[in-house]
Amino acid sequence: MMASFSEAGRVGNEMSVAVTRTEAEEQLVRQFAKVAPELPGGARVAELRSKAIAGFALTGLPHRRIEDWKYTDLRTGIKAAYPPAVCSQAKVDEALIRAALGTALAGVPCIALVMLNGRYVAKMPPRGQEAGTGWEFRSLAAAMGEPDRSWFWQNFERDVGGSESAVQALNTAFLTDGIVLKVREGARLELPIHVISITDAKSPVALATRTIIRIEPGAHATVIESHVGISHASTARQATAVTEISLGEAAEARHIQYLSGGADVVHLGRWHVSLGKDAVYRGFQLTAGVGLARNETHIQFTGPDAKLDLSGLMLGRGKDHIDTTLVVNHTTTGCEGRELFKAVLDDRARAVFQGKVIVAPEAQKTDGKQMAQALMLSEDAEFDSKPELEIYADDVACGHGSTAAELDEDMLFYLRSRGIPLADARAMLIESFATEALEKIEDETLREAARAIAVAWLGGATAR
Amino acid sequence: MPAVRETVDQVLALDVDKYKYGFETTIESIKAPKGLNEGIVRYISDKKGEPGWMLAWRLEAYERWLAMTEPTWAKVDYPKIDFQDLHYYSAPKSTAGPSSLDEVDPELLATYAKLGIPLKEQELLAGVRKQGEPSLLDTADGYQSMAGRVAVDAVFDSVSVVTTFRKELAKAGVIFCSISEALKEHPELVRKYLGSVVPQSDNYYAALNSAVFSDGSFVYIPEGVRCPMELSTYFRINERNTGQFERTLIIADKGSYVSYLEGCTAPMRDENQLHAAVVELIALDDAEIKYSTVQNWYPGDKNGKGGVYNFVTKRGDCRGRNAKISWTQVETGSAITWKYPSCILRGDGSRGEFYSIAISNGRQQVDSGTKMIHLGKNTSSRIISKGIAAGYSQNTYRGLVSAHRKATNARNFTNCDSLLIGNRCGAHTVPYIEAKNASAHFEHEATTSKISDDKLFYCRQRGLSDEEAVALIVNGFVRDVLQQLPMEFMAETQKLIGISLEGSVG
Repeated sequence: MMASFSEAGRVGNEMSVAVTRTEAEEQLVRQFAKVAPELPGGARVAELRSKAIAGFALTGLPHRRIEDWKYTDLRTGIKAAYPPAVCSQAKVDEALIRAALGTALAGVPCIALVMLNGRYVAKMPPRGQEAGTGWEFRSLAAAMGEPDRSWFWQNFERDVGGSESAVQALNTAFLTDGIVLKVREGARLELPIHVISITDAKSPVALATRTIIRIEPGAHATVIESHVGISHASTARQATAVTEISLGEAAEARHIQYLSGGADVVHLGRWHVSLGKDAVYRGFQLTAGVGLARNETHIQFTGPDAKLDLSGLMLGRGKDHIDTTLVVNHTTTGCEGRELFKAVLDDRARAVFQGKVIVAPEAQKTDGKQMAQALMLSEDAEFDSKPELEIYADDVACGHGSTAAELDEDMLFYLRSRGIPLADARAMLIESFATEALEKIEDETLREAARAIAVAWLGGATAR
Repeated sequence: MPAVRETVDQVLALDVDKYKYGFETTIESIKAPKGLNEGIVRYISDKKGEPGWMLAWRLEAYERWLAMTEPTWAKVDYPKIDFQDLHYYSAPKSTAGPSSLDEVDPELLATYAKLGIPLKEQELLAGVRKQGEPSLLDTADGYQSMAGRVAVDAVFDSVSVVTTFRKELAKAGVIFCSISEALKEHPELVRKYLGSVVPQSDNYYAALNSAVFSDGSFVYIPEGVRCPMELSTYFRINERNTGQFERTLIIADKGSYVSYLEGCTAPMRDENQLHAAVVELIALDDAEIKYSTVQNWYPGDKNGKGGVYNFVTKRGDCRGRNAKISWTQVETGSAITWKYPSCILRGDGSRGEFYSIAISNGRQQVDSGTKMIHLGKNTSSRIISKGIAAGYSQNTYRGLVSAHRKATNARNFTNCDSLLIGNRCGAHTVPYIEAKNASAHFEHEATTSKISDDKLFYCRQRGLSDEEAVALIVNGFVRDVLQQLPMEFMAETQKLIGISLEGSVG
């Protein structure tokens, strides 16, 4: 306990030397050797995959001795590696998807791009509507087979992962498919593009998918990503999901992720967002009930005066463990960063927030604000927060805050004195806590859909 | 708003080029041979005439140290230390041990007088001080009548040369002496408490200290006693190539109170000096310890040559109910600072406080902060940290606040602010907040900023000049910490901070 810092701070490389590999780590390496020949992409992709798995084999799964994973230990979190999902030609049943998403989110008009068991299977536009012509997409498996010319390659090869990121490495190695999406210069999509990843496997499976999005200068788009389970299938899944979004000059993107599935789910997500000059990016991560979730977001400002607004709501109960990790890298002048993350924790649930903001010497006039708050509904809930500032420029305004608390007795008393029953009073206070984060979703339809999901989830927490 | 030129110059000049305490005292000393081995540990123990259990304890620490590796997680960067290239013991020849002032080498008294600690006058004239050159530990004009007398334990290299006001303190039952004496006169107390807060194997430098610590202060305040005066230790490293490893142990028995001050300086040398101290505080039921430090070790020159490596483990244990421990530190010196004064809030209703101003300049690297570990029910803590970085320095706040499952109703408020002067330095905040308990209420806020134009405009509108307006606002920046300093420190520190902060907001 007392040596907490020293344990915490050790840099991974020196500590992870000569450690015995866990069963899961060995399984992953073995599995790769087995499935590699069947994975999509030519020789070039195969080479990247080998590089990635070699890097992974060297470091293994990140554990608590590695500073960035101090609170989320994958060595203990992943006891056994599930077999990679097999390619199934199962038909997508629209009703099933609707059920998996929930009526609120399924009701949002959008162009749905569906991935089943880690393979792109269908595009489902809402009847009579189209998103407009300013965009194009293809499946990642198709793109990986394409010749060198496309922009996709620069993006794809840039970050293979390896020793610096086990999640990225595993994703590269086992990648089966994904979506490659481009929104053309100046285009404004009328409808959101909704990338839905589901699985109907009858036994536990592992998924590895990637979404690569390019929003060209002046274009506007909304992208939703849902990782959900289907009720009649096995709920156990281990997924790595990487999303890369690059925004050109003055481009605007709204990006929402919905993650759910239950106690048997391990979701390791990694977002890379790069913002060009004057670009605006609004991201939101809604995680409702996931056994072990890690959402790691890396933000890179590549041009001046861009705006970032990244928020999220973590809802956990049972033994859920939800980790939000951010690295916001200000390398250019005049950018604005806003981050707000909230957690509602019941039972033995645990939320982790790590938010690192780096302001380089040349990133003068940076304006950054960050807040992480947890509402603890149970004695056994836990919130670990590590907001971090690393600042090298002097003309900046940066701040962060973090709070953890239970429901305010005084507020409860006030509501009850007005004749509101305890359960209702609790529900009201919890909802209002969550609402502050949800308000960050600009689009009203989407906001209400997210609220409906949250309220439905909270129903269980507040009913006691 | 860019910092006003004049002010920037003032800050740049602070410490690095104008280190006032960089002189060297020529005094004959006895040194242990260079290097560290079991023999050296025995040598030190033998020199001190320690009981067998103490030697065994040291040797155990040495064994553990051998098995440990240097911590590398702090945001500091320095060449590897050759632990075999140091003298682990150095004592002025003339003092066989602490004695009455009349027996102390006049050269030593002169050194302390020059540092602003006129030991002799202080005891003889009881509070009437000569107004020499301004210094950190001297009481300033105007505060003379208000400030009480201060009992000083003066530690020179490896030994305590003298402790003042001992008789008067003894009347109140207070034990204030060097730890070597305490080992002889109160071995039962030392044995009971030594290492009970910072165990031998706590960390690399604590283990090293446990093996080779040479002296330090020992304080015991009996039950129900309010210590009649401020206690103080003044540390001075003089010898070349010596490490200073002092150990301070303060025990406040039930219902007692003590305020303790610590100051430190070292000569200017081109090579680095190592200072690895351990401070242990124990507060029993309803006791309060207030521990204040003005750390002004030699910071090295403006190119980062020389300076003290300050690797210190300070920890307080609120062992009893409603105990309180308060750390206040003003950090201006040292080439590298690695220091996290912490509080273990074990007793129900206990309270921990940490107030810090850390100023770094030149090539200084500061990685400092605190740990508040809530174990008892209804415990509370407060952290106020102000970091100011200038030149090429790196200034990091690293802190941990944790509430364990049984620490119901734990409360913490943390506020860390940073100021940067120029864009070659860095200010970093690395807080760890761990709430394992729903009834814990933790609030943390940190900012890094320049002065708001609105505030400046407001002040100027009231007729203040630019410089005055900035000074006013910036002094407000550190006020919360300054107010926590005992009177004896406040005036001088305020002066020091005044210079360094005036208009310095980038």
